[in-house]
Amino acid sequence: MKQLMKHRMMKTAALVILGVAMAGGSAVAADKWDGGDDLPTSPLACDAGPAAAAAAKPYDGGQTTGAPDKAGKPITLVDVPKLIGIGYFNATSKGMQDAAKEIGNVKVTTDGPTEAKIDEQIKFIDNYITRGVDGILFAANDPVAIAPVLKKALSKGIDVVGYDANSQPDARQWFINQAQFNGIAKAMVDAMAKEAGEDKGFAIVTSTFTTPNQARWIAEMSAYAAKCHPKLKWLETVEAQEDNVLSFNQATTLINKYGDKLSGLFGMTSVATPASAEAVTKAGQCGKLAVVGLATPNAMKPYVNAGCVKSVVLWNPVDLGYAATYVIRAVVDGKLKPGATSVEAGKLGKLNVVNGSEILLGSPFIFTKDNIKDFDF
Amino acid sequence: MAVLAPEVRSAAPRWLIRHETLLAAILVVALAILGLLNERFLTIDNLLNQGRLMTEVGLLALPMTFIIITGGIDLSVGSIVGLCAIMLGYSWKNLGFPLPLAIAFAIGVGGVAGFVNGLLITRVRVPPLIMTIATLALYRGLAEGISQARSVRNYPEWFFFTGQGEWLGVPVQLWILLVGIIMAGIALDRTTFGRTLYAIGNNETAARFSGLPVDRVKLVVYTLSGLAAGLSAWVLVSRVTTTRSDMGSGYELDVIAAVVLGGTSIFGGVGTIWGTVVGLVMIQLLKNGLALTGVKGDATIIVIGAVLIASTLIASSLHGRREVAG
Repeated sequence: MKQLMKHRMMKTAALVILGVAMAGGSAVAADKWDGGDDLPTSPLACDAGPAAAAAAKPYDGGQTTGAPDKAGKPITLVDVPKLIGIGYFNATSKGMQDAAKEIGNVKVTTDGPTEAKIDEQIKFIDNYITRGVDGILFAANDPVAIAPVLKKALSKGIDVVGYDANSQPDARQWFINQAQFNGIAKAMVDAMAKEAGEDKGFAIVTSTFTTPNQARWIAEMSAYAAKCHPKLKWLETVEAQEDNVLSFNQATTLINKYGDKLSGLFGMTSVATPASAEAVTKAGQCGKLAVVGLATPNAMKPYVNAGCVKSVVLWNPVDLGYAATYVIRAVVDGKLKPGATSVEAGKLGKLNVVNGSEILLGSPFIFTKDNIKDFDF
Repeated sequence: MAVLAPEVRSAAPRWLIRHETLLAAILVVALAILGLLNERFLTIDNLLNQGRLMTEVGLLALPMTFIIITGGIDLSVGSIVGLCAIMLGYSWKNLGFPLPLAIAFAIGVGGVAGFVNGLLITRVRVPPLIMTIATLALYRGLAEGISQARSVRNYPEWFFFTGQGEWLGVPVQLWILLVGIIMAGIALDRTTFGRTLYAIGNNETAARFSGLPVDRVKLVVYTLSGLAAGLSAWVLVSRVTTTRSDMGSGYELDVIAAVVLGGTSIFGGVGTIWGTVVGLVMIQLLKNGLALTGVKGDATIIVIGAVLIASTLIASSLHGRREVAG
C-alpha cells in the first residue's frame, strides 16, 4: 500500500511540475502584444485622414426561421448586455429607452448578469427565449460561447441584433459596430505617442484576454503601432475583468513594477480607465504618466479637469443603444434585409453597412478638457 | 444525534417529518405557484432545458454530498472544472491528442487534482477548508497559465452531442446526471462505503478505532469530486462550444447551497442524495421560474438566499426537536 502511495505521489508531483513547465513555456511572449486576438488586422494610414472604404463583403449574418410577421405591430424586446450596473451599459440602455419612446410601439427591458460572466448571460438569454420575446439585443461576453443560445433564438423566430461586442456572424442578423476597430486603435495609439512620447514604454489594462472587442482593439493597436510608431515599447497587458477594485490594484502594481520605464497606461474598458487614472493620481504621477483610454465622460471628468488625463476616446453609447433599437425595429418591419447597404436610424440619419452584416455608428469621439463638460453620461 | 436517541413516538410517521420530505413539499408548492404565474414554466420543453442547465452543478453536488457528510468540504471544485476544461482544449489543440483521448485526459486531470486534495487532507492533516481554498487558487492559476487566456474553439460537430444533443427526447447530459444520481444514491444508502461516510461524519475517532479505512475513504471521495469536476467540464465545454479559463468560477457556492439546502448538515453525519437532488432542482427551478415571471436578476439572488436561510432554520428546528425528545 505504501509503495502504491509513494508511486502515486511521485506521479502527481511529476504531473504538477509538468503543468507548471507547460505554463512557463507558453508564457514566453509572442512578438505581438498580449490580449490581442489572432484575427487579421488592417491598420490605417499614419497621417490624419479618413479611412479608405473597405471592399463590400457579402451578407454573413444569421437568419430567423418561422418568424411571425409583426411589421408595424407593437413588439417587446430584451437587452442583455455584458453586465448590468455600470455607467456604460446604463447609457446604452438609456439610448434604447429614448428610441423606444420615439418609435412608439417598442418596449425594451434591460436585464443581465451582475458580473461579466458568459455562463450567466447565456442563462438570461435562455430564460427570455422561453418567456417569448420578439427580439433580443445583446453585447456578448464571449463571441463563440454565446452563439448556440442565439442560434436557438433565431430558430424560434426571434430577431437577434448585437451591439458593442459581437458574436459569430451567423448567430445574429446584424451588429451595430460603434466604431471601426482600426479607427479606435489609431486614435488611442496616436494620443499615447503624443502624450507619453514616441519611444516610451506603456502597459495595457484590459478586461480579459478573450473579450471580443477588447481583443480586437489591442490587436489593431499592435499592428498600427508597429506601422506608424515603431519605437513605442509595449511592456505588459493585465486583466481586470471590468472590476473597479481589481483595475485599480492592477494599475498600481504596474506603476510599482516598472517605475520609470512606464510612461503611459492604456485603459481598454470604461472601468479600467478611471481606475488607472485614480492609480496614477494616488501614486503622485499625474502629468508624468499618461493615461489614454476608453471611458464614459462622467467617470473621467475629475481626472480630465485636474489635468491628469488629456484625452478620453469613446463613441456615444447612448447613440449606440438608440441605433440598435431602430435597427431591430427595421428588421422586424422588413425594411432591413440582407444585402442592404444602409439603414435609417431616427435622429442619427443614415448609417452604413460595413463588413457584410455590421452597421457602423460613426467615427470615434475624443473627449478633452474643452468639450467634456458638454456630456452627461 | 438522532442515531443514538431512542425512537420518538409521534403521531406522524418519521419519514413525513424528515427534512427532505418537507423540502419536497415546499418545492411542489413553489412550482405550483410559479406555474400559475407563468404558463411557459411547467412545459416539458422548459423543464428539460432546465435539466440540461443544471447538470454541471448537479454532477458536482453528488460527491460534494459525500464530502460534507464526512464533515469535510471541497471549495476547489469550480477551479477544477476550469482546469479540466482548459486541459481538454489544450491537449486537443496544442498537444495534438485525438479528441476522445483529450476528453479522457481532462477527466483524468480532474481526478488527479481531487487526489492531491485528498492526499494532503489525509496525510498532512490540512483542514479541508484551508486545503481546498488553497487549491481553488492554485488550480485556477494553472488553468489561466496553461491557457494563456486564449480560448479553444472549432470543435467537430459530434463533440457537441453531449452538451446540446438529445436521446429519446431528453438532453444527453441529463441522462448522465440521472445515472450519476442512481449510482451515488445506491453507494450512499446500500453499501459499506456509504455507511463509513456517515460513521466518519458522526465520530471520526470512533470510526477509526472501529477499524474502518477512514483515510482511504476520504481519499476516494475527494478524488471522486475531482473526477466529477472533469465530467462536468466536458459537459460544459460541449454546451458552450468553447473553452475559457474562467469557466466554473463560482460553482462551488451553487453546489454547496444545493447540498445544504437538501438537508445535509455542514457538521457532517447527516444527508442523503435524494435531499441533494431536491435542493438542486429547487434552486434551478426557482431561478428559472422567477426569471420567467419577470423578476430581475438581482432579486432572484435575494430569493435564493432567503430560501437557503429558511431551509437551514427548518433543518435545525427538526434536529432540535429530536434532541429534546431524546
